[in-house]
Amino acid sequence: MNVTRRKFIQITGASAAGLAVSGLGFDLTPIKSHAQMLKTKYAKETTTICCYCAVGCGAIVHTSKKGDGRVINIEGDPDHVINRGSLCSKGASLSQLTENDNRLLEPMYRAPYSKKWKKVSWDWALTEIAKRVKATRDASFEHKNAKGQVVNRTTDIVSIGSSALDNEECWIYQAMVRALGLVYVEHQARI
Amino acid sequence: MSKSFLIDTTLCTACRGCQVACKQWHDLPAEKTINRGTYENPADLSFDTYKLVRMREEVINGKLNWLFFPEQCRHCIEAPCLETAGDPGAIYKDDKTGAIIFTANTKRLNAAEIIESCPYNIPRKAPDGTLAKCDMCIDRVENGLPPACVQTCPTGAMNFGDRDEMLALAGKQLAVAKKKFPKAMLIDADDLNVIYLVGYEPKLYCKNAMASNAVFDITRQMALKRMIRPLTNIASRLL
Amino acid sequence: MTNHWIDLKNSDCILIMGSNAASNHPISFKYVQMAQEKGAKLINVDPRFTRTSSKADFYTALRSGTDIAFLGGMIKYLLDKKLYNKEYVENYTNAPFIVGKAFKFSDGLFSGYEAKNRKYDKSKWAFDMDSKGVPKMDRSLKNSRCVLNLLKKHFSRYNTKLVSSITGTPEADLVEVYKTYAATGARGKAGTIMYAMGWTQHTVGVQNIRTMAMIQLLLGNMGVAGGGVNALRGESNVQGSTDQCLLWHIWPGYLKTPRASNVSLSAYNKKWTPKSNDPLSANWWQNYPKYSVSLLKSFFGEKATKANDFGYDWMPKVDDGTDYSWLTLFDEMYKGTVKGLFAWGMNPACSGANSNKTRKAMENLDWMVNVNLFDNETGSFWKGPGMNPSTIKTEVFMLPACVSVEKEGSITNSGRWMQWRYMGPKPLGNSLSDGDIIMELGLKLKEIYKEGGAFPEPILNLKWDYMTDGLYDPHKVAKEINGYYLEGPKKGKLVESFSKLKADGSTSSANWLYCNSYTEKGNMSARRSKVDAPNNIGLYPEFAWCWPVNRRILYNRASVDLKGQPWDKKDWVVRFAGNVKNGKYVSKKWIGDVPDGGWYPLENPDGTKRKDAKHPFIMRKHGYAQIFGPGRADGPFPEHYEPLECPVEKNLMNKQRINPVAPVYGTDADAYATCDPKFPFVGTTYRVSEHWQTGLMTRTQPWLLELQPQVFVEMSEELAKLRGFKNGERVMVSSARGSLECTAIVTKRFKPFKIAGNTVHQVGVPWHYGWRWPETGAEESANLLTPSTGDPNTRIPETKAFMVNVTKK
Repeated sequence: MNVTRRKFIQITGASAAGLAVSGLGFDLTPIKSHAQMLKTKYAKETTTICCYCAVGCGAIVHTSKKGDGRVINIEGDPDHVINRGSLCSKGASLSQLTENDNRLLEPMYRAPYSKKWKKVSWDWALTEIAKRVKATRDASFEHKNAKGQVVNRTTDIVSIGSSALDNEECWIYQAMVRALGLVYVEHQARI
Repeated sequence: MSKSFLIDTTLCTACRGCQVACKQWHDLPAEKTINRGTYENPADLSFDTYKLVRMREEVINGKLNWLFFPEQCRHCIEAPCLETAGDPGAIYKDDKTGAIIFTANTKRLNAAEIIESCPYNIPRKAPDGTLAKCDMCIDRVENGLPPACVQTCPTGAMNFGDRDEMLALAGKQLAVAKKKFPKAMLIDADDLNVIYLVGYEPKLYCKNAMASNAVFDITRQMALKRMIRPLTNIASRLL
Repeated sequence: MTNHWIDLKNSDCILIMGSNAASNHPISFKYVQMAQEKGAKLINVDPRFTRTSSKADFYTALRSGTDIAFLGGMIKYLLDKKLYNKEYVENYTNAPFIVGKAFKFSDGLFSGYEAKNRKYDKSKWAFDMDSKGVPKMDRSLKNSRCVLNLLKKHFSRYNTKLVSSITGTPEADLVEVYKTYAATGARGKAGTIMYAMGWTQHTVGVQNIRTMAMIQLLLGNMGVAGGGVNALRGESNVQGSTDQCLLWHIWPGYLKTPRASNVSLSAYNKKWTPKSNDPLSANWWQNYPKYSVSLLKSFFGEKATKANDFGYDWMPKVDDGTDYSWLTLFDEMYKGTVKGLFAWGMNPACSGANSNKTRKAMENLDWMVNVNLFDNETGSFWKGPGMNPSTIKTEVFMLPACVSVEKEGSITNSGRWMQWRYMGPKPLGNSLSDGDIIMELGLKLKEIYKEGGAFPEPILNLKWDYMTDGLYDPHKVAKEINGYYLEGPKKGKLVESFSKLKADGSTSSANWLYCNSYTEKGNMSARRSKVDAPNNIGLYPEFAWCWPVNRRILYNRASVDLKGQPWDKKDWVVRFAGNVKNGKYVSKKWIGDVPDGGWYPLENPDGTKRKDAKHPFIMRKHGYAQIFGPGRADGPFPEHYEPLECPVEKNLMNKQRINPVAPVYGTDADAYATCDPKFPFVGTTYRVSEHWQTGLMTRTQPWLLELQPQVFVEMSEELAKLRGFKNGERVMVSSARGSLECTAIVTKRFKPFKIAGNTVHQVGVPWHYGWRWPETGAEESANLLTPSTGDPNTRIPETKAFMVNVTKK
């Protein structure tokens, strides 16, 4: 069999349409004409910055416009002036971080002395958390310290985290915990 | 003009971005591995691993070196696997790029014969007999994108482009490398579309860094091919 | 980083020490190798030969925890051979300052030591002041009490023979490093340092970095292209989270957390606003009240008024002289005084030092909220190794956060570049962005406190209008962080720059350092221009945004001479380009990077001094960089002390074995072992390229697990032979606090050290693992080994040097 350029184009198209057996090279049987189609061709493109180390490499996220709307591909952004398209092993694996079977997808609750997790709703979880925070805070709130100085704080609740948050999230988070009167406020930068 | 890679191992830091980018683009599954007393993993190329960074600790002239070698198909200009197969529906050369492409029809080939025909021991077999290896990310290349491994490489170890450009770059990089590595050389540059630049003897990097003569005799067909091949491009050999 | 990633390419000599950049910041090597290609030298100093070493022009080893000895030897070398940059040192550093007579150093102790409290009285280290309240100086550097001469005296002990016997580095190698790096003291040459946790995670962490910063000042490497002090930060937004100050001691923009003794806003501002009597000192922090009041306006909006001190009383205060840091927090939790824990985007069961203590401490909690992408060793601590769920009362709420590509917002990289990210796919399953979770929880808290409770005012008055159509809106927060005009003709408009902020409540800015990042011109962090600045050194001023006010290289006015002209004519950062008339500058104009303040240079072209100029180190009270640093907890000069756990009976440099002010903790989980035959080897922890931090975002990924599937311990062939280990064999690594099973990597890349005539072995374990993933449960955290001690200034734990044993399984 003589594979011509034309056929090759057809083959790539077939592969792109998901008809080929993944990873095999090419399945020649069901040849369909989707000339020169990349798996990313009809995807939505957004830019991101890698979430691992602090070099701040740019990446392009290809998200399917059809079906489940999930990530098809993530690769280095050639127009980013720092990494110019490159990514290390961690950065190159960003799509697997996103489309990952191990991800936590529901709020979970573990009751005292329980051996297992229970799936709960967001509303229940956040309502119950607010109740716990209030109970602990109200029971421990210190208006004045031993010297009689105004301190308006609780040392019974502590917060750690997080440089995994965006700047804006960090700001509102610290505002919330400080408004609660927390002084034990720490995160990754300390360790 | 065919396409070529220049892999300058003197710049490789073994971040292994290429190894993952390859799997990412091709949707290849991870293998179950163990730590074998080395960072290098998986242990070998496989049906699911087209690219593998070899890592060797070598004391050379009394000085410790950690040598890195991103191993992959060389896309031979005259590919023994293709000649051995004699079945363009299974293994063919893309005229435009020079990429040697394995299709699903490799299942009908004698896998052992194909693997043995490769001077660099690259193709690997699936349980069902299908063969796989680096496809030069030909879908990307056809669309003007570099192969995934080249795009992701931070340091310029992985390069890709028209063959004459890559040969020119190889010459330039070799001159740079020679300042630090007097024995630097290009591996089999005339015969391959994947040209490695190494600072030391190729065999220190990886068992099959250089073509093994032994395997050229495996098939009669190949032996014939080797004999009738014209002496190509002596100039590039002098680089 | 004072500089940034791309700027590495402008360096003439790159020292990588205390980091393994090729492995852990792989893309940095794009620029390291670019510099090398242009002829720069790459020096790598590390206990172990790494991926970085493999690319170095010169590599040598040192024993973990001996960096000050190593670098102190370099200071002595520079001073002895007069290789320092005299003009820079005399004019821009405090080298000419006269130190008061109370300052002394003997037997490894600085004056002012209070043994009982393990503390120094820092007032003993003060400078002599003149009648105007300006530090006395001797610009000729002859006075025996001037900083430079005290420095000479201090480091006179650090000869290469002694340094070598402490560090284990051959003397010839020391000299090679000193000589190569010292060459950057020449005018127009730049040397840089790339360090990371290899320097910070020590009981002398801050002084490790100070020693290098002093070298950079001596060589004139601060402020210049290809120079600086460059901390390679480890998390994509750890710079941003630090800037937003998720830390006990600071408020957004590095303002101070108020102490209980700061009884009112005016007392607080007075306490923390430095005063300089030198008219040539910009003393930038004199603007402190503008930033603190604008911050309070962002916290409480219209509820913050002049009459109520802008809500100052609503903010919690910390006790004076008390520490509230990570190690202390978990110590308190271990003792049972803490009831509730938010572990948000963190996995402390694996990340903090002394994991057994941390995990045990969690049993004492009533409740925990754990927000993460994956189930993890913290949220599931109650079913971890050695735990019995039926005896653990802790309620745990584990909330699913979405991945960064599923949300929008900004992060700040190590080079201080704030970069905007966009949403690709929607959050998977029922996961939510952290922003949405925080906003919703905040609303719940406000709701519940409407019904009353302890001191509800700060919760009810907290400005919380950062939603659009019921969802968290990062743009609204980003604008608040920048700040608004609240009064006057520009009311409602975004503030252009922090120079416009006011202390009277007429402006808001949730973080003054980020003022200028989101203005009426738009979101500066989203910019994408690939056009370089006129100096063509890779600043890319319109790509993203950089704090402060888009200044890409900090202290850049030290890159020019007194007349405002660059030391380096080729790779210049800024230059003064004002008009000249009769030898005098008559108009103000700087070109290149955004200068550290736009004042006139210190001198006119004719050499006359100007009165309207400012010294270049504008964030320092006196305007000078501090070779003598009287603010540090452990001394104004660095001194070599052994790690808390070390392999030597005595410190060869002085009579104190360990840092006399290093914190120690006293619970039954806090064992320390020095020169204990049970733990004969130096241990250290580190990262690998393929995993990240506790590994939660990499151990869960098959592709990365394929590359590095198991926790390992690296050791020399000599040590393996001593113990009878085969390469690849599973072995036990243990310390006084815990143990874990590891795969032995027997390698030429570790070599035994010769320390004062004895052979000392060192091993290393990456800290990326934990029992939850991979699902075999067999790979554990290296922090089971590490001690609860740390730097006396920062309390960053000493996880880079401790003592272990390695035995057959």
